[in-house]
Amino acid sequence: MHELGIANSILEAVEAEMRPHPGARPLRIAVTVGALSGVDRDSLAFCFEAIVKGTPFAAMALDLKEAAADELELTCLELEEPTP
Amino acid sequence: MSNTTTKVPLERKVLSENDRLAAELRAEFARHGIRCLNLISSPGSGKTALLERTLGAFDPGVRVAVLTGDIQTDADARRLERYGFPVRQITTAGACHLDARMVTKALEGWDLAALDLLFIENVGNLVCPTSYDLGEVAKVVLLSVAEGEEKPLKYPGIFFKAKLMVLTKIDLLPYVPFRLDDAIANARSIQPDIEIMQVSNTTGEGLEKWMEWVRRGI
Repeated sequence: MHELGIANSILEAVEAEMRPHPGARPLRIAVTVGALSGVDRDSLAFCFEAIVKGTPFAAMALDLKEAAADELELTCLELEEPTP
Repeated sequence: MSNTTTKVPLERKVLSENDRLAAELRAEFARHGIRCLNLISSPGSGKTALLERTLGAFDPGVRVAVLTGDIQTDADARRLERYGFPVRQITTAGACHLDARMVTKALEGWDLAALDLLFIENVGNLVCPTSYDLGEVAKVVLLSVAEGEEKPLKYPGIFFKAKLMVLTKIDLLPYVPFRLDDAIANARSIQPDIEIMQVSNTTGEGLEKWMEWVRRGI
């Protein structure tokens, strides 16, 4: 059960990617999870939901996509930004 | 004020921080000419027993050390210390795998220039340790014949990433229903290039070949 650690790593990465976008609201983070990555998608979704509860990331969708081999990558972050 | 939706394309590994630390470790190991092997298996497949046999076969002058990971207790470190080589226990306090940060921390204060070979005995688990690069030159997966020959299919991740599969406890083959040929075919169906070896830590069978593999490149 290392999905909690993986969920934390995703959240940390999202926080880092948000820094250049002040005032933005995170809508969706897409992550590819390979069949050979050793990560269970249901368990990861469950852990992620638990750690974002009550944070500004609670409304962000975690979009887990099946992938080949051992891939475990963040592929896209969708933000809502105030129009200047 | 209106809002716009922005899509930020990312190409970033989820475990990029672990990978960064592992890359640092790998560079350190390379700089000191250390061959680092990461041993992974289910609990009870014989990782510690294989290391006991391995350390017992080395001359005292060989520059070898062991990091051994467990959720609780330093029982494995105590077993391995008897052979006179440096051993450190990493107790993960609940975590089901070792990560690069734990290894970096455990190596603090060790003179890496005095080592040629470093074994990392991971926490007994066929799933979680697979995701975490520790800077090793190779992952070694152990599968005992007391388990099932379908394990490579059930836990494909580690059999995909390991350079070598060691089938252990082969002295038990006459007493268990394990189908050796199927186990090998299953592992090769996940990774055609995986090297395969058969050993018994009890009788010593196959250990010469293992020692030869371990010594490669040191």
